Amino acid sequence: MIAEAGQLALTFAFALALLLALVPLYGSFVANQRMLLLAKPLAFGQFIFCLLAMAALIYAFRTNDFTVINVAQNSSSTLPWYYQITASFGSHEGSMLLWVLMLAGWTALVAQYSKALPLLLQGRILGILGIICVGFVAFSLFMSNPFERSLPFFPVEGRDLNPLLQDFGMIMHPPTLYMGYVGFAVAFAFALAALISGRFDSVWARWVRPWALSAWLFLTLGIMLGSWWAYKELGWGGWWFWDPVENASFMPWLAGTALIHSLAVTEKRGTFKSWTVLLALAAFALSLVGAFLVRSGVLVSVHSFATDPGRGMYLLVFLLLVVGGSLLLYGSRMNSVRSQARYQLFSREMMLWGNNVFLLTACLIVFLGTLFPLFHKELGLGSISIGEPFFNQMFYYLTIPFALMLGLGPWVRWKQQQLVPLIKPFGLVLIATLMLALGTLALMQSVQANLALLGLLLGAWVGVSALAEVMLRLKQFGSVTAGVSKLNASHYGMTLAHIGFAVLVIGVAMTKTYTVERDVRMQEGDTVTVSGYDFTLQEVYALNGPNYGGEAAELDVHKNGRFVTHLHAEKRFYRIQSTIMTEAAIHARLSRDLFVSLGEALPGNAWALRIHVKPFVRWIWLGGLLMSLGALVALCDKKYRRKLTGNGEAHA
Amino acid sequence: MRLVLVALFASFSLLAQDIRPFDNEQQRQLFNQLTAELRCPQCQNQNIADSNAIVAVDMREKTYQLVREGKDRAQVLDYMIGRYGDFVHYQPPVNRFTLWLWLAPLLMLVLLLAVGAYRRASKNNDDELAANTPSASELDTLIDRYRSKKP
Amino acid sequence: MRKVLFYAPLAAFLALALFLLSGLFSDPRERASAIVDKPLPEFALADLMQPDKIWTAEALKGETYLLNVWGVWCPTCNAELGYLTELREQGVKIVGLYYELPRDPAFDAPFDLSVLQRDVSEKLTQNGNPYQFNILDLDRSLSLDLGVSGAPETFIIDASGIVRAHHIGDINPQVWRAKLAPLYQQWSQP
Repeated sequence: MIAEAGQLALTFAFALALLLALVPLYGSFVANQRMLLLAKPLAFGQFIFCLLAMAALIYAFRTNDFTVINVAQNSSSTLPWYYQITASFGSHEGSMLLWVLMLAGWTALVAQYSKALPLLLQGRILGILGIICVGFVAFSLFMSNPFERSLPFFPVEGRDLNPLLQDFGMIMHPPTLYMGYVGFAVAFAFALAALISGRFDSVWARWVRPWALSAWLFLTLGIMLGSWWAYKELGWGGWWFWDPVENASFMPWLAGTALIHSLAVTEKRGTFKSWTVLLALAAFALSLVGAFLVRSGVLVSVHSFATDPGRGMYLLVFLLLVVGGSLLLYGSRMNSVRSQARYQLFSREMMLWGNNVFLLTACLIVFLGTLFPLFHKELGLGSISIGEPFFNQMFYYLTIPFALMLGLGPWVRWKQQQLVPLIKPFGLVLIATLMLALGTLALMQSVQANLALLGLLLGAWVGVSALAEVMLRLKQFGSVTAGVSKLNASHYGMTLAHIGFAVLVIGVAMTKTYTVERDVRMQEGDTVTVSGYDFTLQEVYALNGPNYGGEAAELDVHKNGRFVTHLHAEKRFYRIQSTIMTEAAIHARLSRDLFVSLGEALPGNAWALRIHVKPFVRWIWLGGLLMSLGALVALCDKKYRRKLTGNGEAHA
Repeated sequence: MRLVLVALFASFSLLAQDIRPFDNEQQRQLFNQLTAELRCPQCQNQNIADSNAIVAVDMREKTYQLVREGKDRAQVLDYMIGRYGDFVHYQPPVNRFTLWLWLAPLLMLVLLLAVGAYRRASKNNDDELAANTPSASELDTLIDRYRSKKP
Repeated sequence: MRKVLFYAPLAAFLALALFLLSGLFSDPRERASAIVDKPLPEFALADLMQPDKIWTAEALKGETYLLNVWGVWCPTCNAELGYLTELREQGVKIVGLYYELPRDPAFDAPFDLSVLQRDVSEKLTQNGNPYQFNILDLDRSLSLDLGVSGAPETFIIDASGIVRAHHIGDINPQVWRAKLAPLYQQWSQP
């Protein structure tokens, strides 16, 4: 019964979405206030019914209702309760419902926090979000119904959740990632509403910024969590593989990053308008293209869902209508819009333009790298693969000028910056950068011209310069302490995010350079030394988990005779899905990770173990975390809040 | 990123325990690099270092054997590509079509940077426009005015 | 010019959509083979049933045939034995390349030819025997040289020993008629 109730709730949500897509938009063209006022309650109603549908699905999973195909295929009665809940979005159908719920949630948020917007604009924005909701709710309802029953025949036990997904990372990763993907729908709707009304000004940019920023926050966090999950769960110690599915999330992130920077220019200087609108459209369009790539089966990926061409066709048609339609509108409306601000070559505008150009180039690289094998094959030229060597090479060359510019950017004034006043502070920044980078390598007793040095130099350059810039701004308020409360939150947020990027760059470069991997054969009692750490295999014994068996290894780690840690690595055999999973043992410190995964048994009572020492690998996720934190801080800026003080002097 | 390696502080002891012993550190790195760059032809999207599919294990062993025989990077890649095609290497071959993988981003970069510089120059002597952009405080008042307006 | 420029994103998107559409109708796992139109690699492998007999690339020349990579451990291979036997009855020459699994020394018994011969005979009596004979690729070296990524896979090799087709996956009536039969006809003509 509950599953049917869920389906009914989803059907109601569909009806409300349909009304939301039609009534307020129509009302906006015939200037009917009552129709426009309907947008808000419709948005809330739609969200509540989506919430009910999700609750019904979770209920079906928790009660082991194996008559529901989705439950039977992705859960089992032996699955721990928290994974039964996350299993509800572990399949294509369930994750689609989660996507729909997120979309309805963002729509409700816009309805809630758009009191300040003119009613006409509010109605249009909610109406456009309604159109997108219709597309996805219909997809969920008609093309991938999560509540479908298999009656009269049903299994007594479910097929269990894919063991890869039985992890804490999986609880967190999809919801945050989808919040990010779908969040860009709001900026998209704002952009379309502006295209319809033909108004793009600083006010519009000010309104869009917090929405774009919050979507970006979630997407950053989601990608970071995904990377962390892959690292600890896939068992080979990698944190990014340039897989099509990873790239599908990276592309909207790059476009979104460009968007939040371009919005700053549009708000502050009233220029880059057509560009900003295009980015707002592109960020969500890329989210949609990503959803298509993941769910249609056109690309081969480790993470993709079981696919079906009918679904792919539906998504493609939807993509054509939504993205094609909006780009058509863009083409026809945008040529009347003129940006009107001027700036010199050395100005904040040009720096941010440079930022956008590099980010978009990076986006194009990821796009081509992901889709070129498809183009290549469809043109009859044969199968090729594009992966790590290509992407790493391209990002290597792109990151250098980008990071150099990023260190400089926040110092440069709007309109025009004189070079001379910057020479002295930048001399100091440069000296500090050199000292930091070389000092770190000296501490590690490895001063040489390598990737690590480059990464440290770039990271220190960005980080030191970001910190110095904040100090300088604070001093402008009189004294540093007096300035702390005066500088606005956006500025702190920006600085934090830039430092996050610096941390990320350092993490990547150090890990790439100094990771040591060893595949060893060990018996109980054996010791192997990797990077100065002595790993001793204490014992290996049989495991007995709720829905898995397998083996576990206990290791002690010493360094220079002193005990460091105890490690527990598992190799699990999940009974129902009969798959083997490695649960790596990880001892994490800011300066390095010790990573051990248990391999197969070898003749002579021995086991194969893969032992990694990965310096600075935590910095990669720490960097991502700092970036999201930066977005969070910037969101607290009082200029985005409803009550304005009237004198918000904003910088960036 | 190319593994500019030779980690000085990485000292190895008990080399006998290695599952795959190598004659020297260069060989070990070559092997690690090659198995990370070669794609398992049977799997969804995995390199042969991480996959345990039979063909990946065979390719890994073959790579090991070739590296131990003293073959260099190009020779091993040729060997594998000769049997499994370009598909098996994560670095695409350069041909008239794939050239755009490198050219298109470069062109876009240069073009867009030029557009930014050109826009700046073309509007440079147009002075009154600067006044059209509201300052931050003017913007706040503007927003307040919007808000007080009833539709 | 400026006007047209604003339609550029739409044009780019439509071009992309076209590729995505064509992508929907092709199998991303299908890949070009590197061995097609090249001679069968040199090898010297024993016959599965008569280990004294050594097969070489030279010894197989003279007639167009199918080289079918298979193993009793592989369910898809066993499933196609029936249809392949029908093809044999229609006069298609099929040679088996037996793809043996690697052994895990910790768990598996050491390789025993007589056990394998018994398993294979049982399977072939049960499902039908399409093979003229089977070549045992114990360490999968010929398979590696042929670019085999798993079982089942099938090659068409012409009378002069040149590989003319490489099919990954099973052979069923549909695949045979649409893809392999025309090639087989073409290359079996003298």
